[in-house]
Amino acid sequence: MKEITIRVSRYDPAADAEPHFEEYTVRVNEGARVLHALHAVRDEHDSTLAYRYCCGSGQCGSCAVRVDGKPVLACMEEARDGMTVEPLDLPVLKDLMVDLEPVIAKIARICPAPDAALPAREEIEAIKPLRDCIECLCCVSACPALQVTDFAGPTVLRQEMRLALDPRDSGDRITDAIEKGLFYCTTCKRCTEVCPKDIDVPGKAIEKLRELANRRGLTLPRHQEVARLVQETGRSVERTQPTFLEQVPEVIEPDGPVRGEVGFFVGCMFNGRVPQTALDAMEVMKRNGIRVIVPHDQVCCGSPLIRTGQTSFVDDLKRKNIEAFARRGIKTVMTICAGCGATLKNDYETPFEVKDVTEILTEYGIEPPSKLDVRATYHDPCHLLRGQGISEQPRELLRLGVKEFVEMPSQCCGAGGGVRSGVPEEAKALGAKRDECVKATGADVVVTVCPFCEFHIADCTDVPVKNLTTILLEGYRKKDAERQGSA
Amino acid sequence: MVLYNAPTNKMLVDEIVDAHVLVIGSGGAGVRAAVEASRYGGVVLVSKTIAGKGGCTTMAEGGYNAVLREEDSVRVHRDDTLKGGAYLNDPALVDALVREAPERMADLVRWGAVFDVTEDRQVAQRPFGGQRFPRTCYAGDRTGHEMIMTLLDRLDATDTHLYQEVSVVDFVKDENGAVAGAVALDRDGDVVLFRSDATVLATGGGTQAYDISTNSAAGTGDGFAMAYRAGAELIDMEMVQFHPTGAVYPYDARGRLVTEAVRGEGGILLNARRERFMERYDPERMELSTRDVVARAIATEVLEGRGTSRGGVYLDVTHLPAERIEARLPVMLEQFLAFGVDIRREPMEVAPTAHHIMGGVRITPECRTTIPGLFACGEVTGGVHGANRLGGNALADTQVFGKRAGEFAGKAPARSGRVDPAGVDEVTRMLDGFFEGAISPADVRKDLKLTMWNQAGIFRSAPDLRTALGHVRRLADKRLCAASTANLLECCTIRNMCTTASLIVRCALLRPENRGAHVRLDAEVVTDPATSPFSHTYVSLAREGIERREVAA
Repeated sequence: MKEITIRVSRYDPAADAEPHFEEYTVRVNEGARVLHALHAVRDEHDSTLAYRYCCGSGQCGSCAVRVDGKPVLACMEEARDGMTVEPLDLPVLKDLMVDLEPVIAKIARICPAPDAALPAREEIEAIKPLRDCIECLCCVSACPALQVTDFAGPTVLRQEMRLALDPRDSGDRITDAIEKGLFYCTTCKRCTEVCPKDIDVPGKAIEKLRELANRRGLTLPRHQEVARLVQETGRSVERTQPTFLEQVPEVIEPDGPVRGEVGFFVGCMFNGRVPQTALDAMEVMKRNGIRVIVPHDQVCCGSPLIRTGQTSFVDDLKRKNIEAFARRGIKTVMTICAGCGATLKNDYETPFEVKDVTEILTEYGIEPPSKLDVRATYHDPCHLLRGQGISEQPRELLRLGVKEFVEMPSQCCGAGGGVRSGVPEEAKALGAKRDECVKATGADVVVTVCPFCEFHIADCTDVPVKNLTTILLEGYRKKDAERQGSA
Repeated sequence: MVLYNAPTNKMLVDEIVDAHVLVIGSGGAGVRAAVEASRYGGVVLVSKTIAGKGGCTTMAEGGYNAVLREEDSVRVHRDDTLKGGAYLNDPALVDALVREAPERMADLVRWGAVFDVTEDRQVAQRPFGGQRFPRTCYAGDRTGHEMIMTLLDRLDATDTHLYQEVSVVDFVKDENGAVAGAVALDRDGDVVLFRSDATVLATGGGTQAYDISTNSAAGTGDGFAMAYRAGAELIDMEMVQFHPTGAVYPYDARGRLVTEAVRGEGGILLNARRERFMERYDPERMELSTRDVVARAIATEVLEGRGTSRGGVYLDVTHLPAERIEARLPVMLEQFLAFGVDIRREPMEVAPTAHHIMGGVRITPECRTTIPGLFACGEVTGGVHGANRLGGNALADTQVFGKRAGEFAGKAPARSGRVDPAGVDEVTRMLDGFFEGAISPADVRKDLKLTMWNQAGIFRSAPDLRTALGHVRRLADKRLCAASTANLLECCTIRNMCTTASLIVRCALLRPENRGAHVRLDAEVVTDPATSPFSHTYVSLAREGIERREVAA
């Protein structure tokens, strides 16, 4: 047995104006779950504590709560000393009990055709990954789109795709999915991260439903324009200034001895809209002895098309890109754009390794820059944090580059999944929430490593937003200036 | 389907609901009964939990037995079930089970269930213990969850009125003594009276009466206790299936089911000396022997000092390809990973756990109980599985008898008598009494569970059982205390657990032989299951005893 102290959110709508925390010290067995700690509170302190539970083995989805802010199943999550237990972010009935029924009611039911027969094996296998849902509603609690739109929720859309895949179903799932907010999903994958069954709703449901919508001509007009642009120019961004590729040679040699070599996948944003940031990144590579090979025949990675379900010519783009790097014998391809990186890693099968710039720099180790005299906070790009599982490396680099680093809560900025172009009011509302978080940190600068996030957050806050490599370059320039000053 | 939440009008009770058919329980049997009864209109389904989240169907992992192939036959399924049940099963119920299980499977498939299928587009089947043909249909290792999601889809297409998080406390009767509905508590502890022409009891099992159990928190034996108090007869309540493989760690999750599918897929059992000990207990069927045999084998290994330090044995699938484990046993993989064990690389540690109550309310093949107006189906009934249930037969049971109960309850005539108000008053007085009680329900629960595990578990004897019965009766007499109206339910639950426990122990004392899951270390007579002179034990408010039967020599 061990003793732990936990904070539990209590709320009785008959007596309390709003929820408050109570602290309890309880004795639990080694390996006890959050649920067992709650049982201990009920049995030893207050038998009126309201919370749901049933199967005790992660199969029924009754007991979801937020532990230290993250939705989990209380019966599977290990209890920790000092943890905070709150209800899911849904209307609270009492204490930790929330009203699940309105959301569950939105989850579509199958409408089997009268002549429904057993599906074929491939059809069953396609449905299965979407069938494990236990309707715990962790995803609904965590989804950022739900905070600012009437999006029905990740699992609701999951069910639409499950039904769309079932030959027995006679419903019109695409129309339903659009009504339920198909285009509101930013593909941030927060739902997958909190799902106790690891269901990839954005990848296996949202993007696939958008594909089906595309085949019926229901893609949003703004998204269609992007697809047209990619088809015509190979790029998702219009040329309004000299591009990155127009400004650099195929091989960028480092200043000193060569410590390593990478291919550089530029991405449309860095190539066409913010080329200066990519040029800054090249300076950082040069400074650190890394030779950069930049195939000029590379094109859009296809991410804006895959995320919005316009996949008809994505295979062409993939083939061109893979050839561009493979032909030059490149072993490691570097991305600076989180979206391109996640796409190359997750949607491509590449004969080379793909790494984010923060992985490359931390693996080789960098010359320490002079620390900028600022307080900086870091915004996790969804496609880096969850798309590529990268969170530590950018923080490690940022700590080298600034005097003070402060964390802020991680949440999608609203730029992804075609939302910035397709549903700008949602993107703006999510951006405003980022601004609130940024302001709360008191930071002088927001640092990130994704051009979409950078561009969008800059639109939503008056605090400067910079790419991590720009910060490093500024640190090197400061260092050089200090050396010259002292020389 | 129509949803109802907290009641608004206050009367003697807080709300009155009228129904043609009242179904109590939202597991596989209850929902199937409601679906069928809805063909006759006026169905109300009362669920103690949010529908789909309670009950043990949702948790059922392994599968559903049905004869689907030319090479298999219902005769063989029947013989396997009777043999597995140590010939204590009611043959008429077994006939219905094996004959109709395939049709009920076809219903599920037609309604959208996502069962695994073979290359040639048949429902896939795998081997399970005690069966001569691999006839267990499955959806990975979440078969029951697949079924319940499908059934709820189907229920939604009917006009059944669904009351969620409303818990039935006791039946009410009319002036003729027929069951005429039930009194229930909603989430806040307000009292709801349901009045019905026919009532279907589908509350599932009750192995939560044991310290180590696979059952969900809802498996507290409410239906056994309510039926008993209403005067129904129950049979074979001593027949408690101890599933051979429950998790042993972490302590608070002990008893959690490790599905038989693990052995069906090729998992082997090893003791702490790494001996494949089933060779000594059932060399022919090995790990796929019947559950009673495997559970006793594991318990014996542990009792004789060949268990692990945590009191279990090893269940090993590390010799199977990782991809097969990932595809066929994803829930197991995920659960053990959450507790720090990667079953692809290291063995699981398992020990027996109270899983299923084979006994229960006595029913006819039309699911009629011994009292008018009350039908029953699923685990709350007795007779289908005899002295030991075959893995995969319970899910089939829920569908076959759920459908039957719904059909015959639906066809029941309108009630002629009036609900007896005295019965309703009695329940509300009993509930009020909990506000004056002094004993914490949590303490009684803990005491009861340990008593049942230690004195009425896998190995039994008359002195132990008598000690247990005395103690359970003392616990049942304690004046439980409800801290708020919302806590009334907890008191009612403990009351039901005590009643269920006493029924188990009384029947265990009535059966002097070893039969299936029931083992008396002090058995007075040696019998062979096929020729035993004993049949069902029975217990009701009016009588108790053990039936004798004529057996051809």
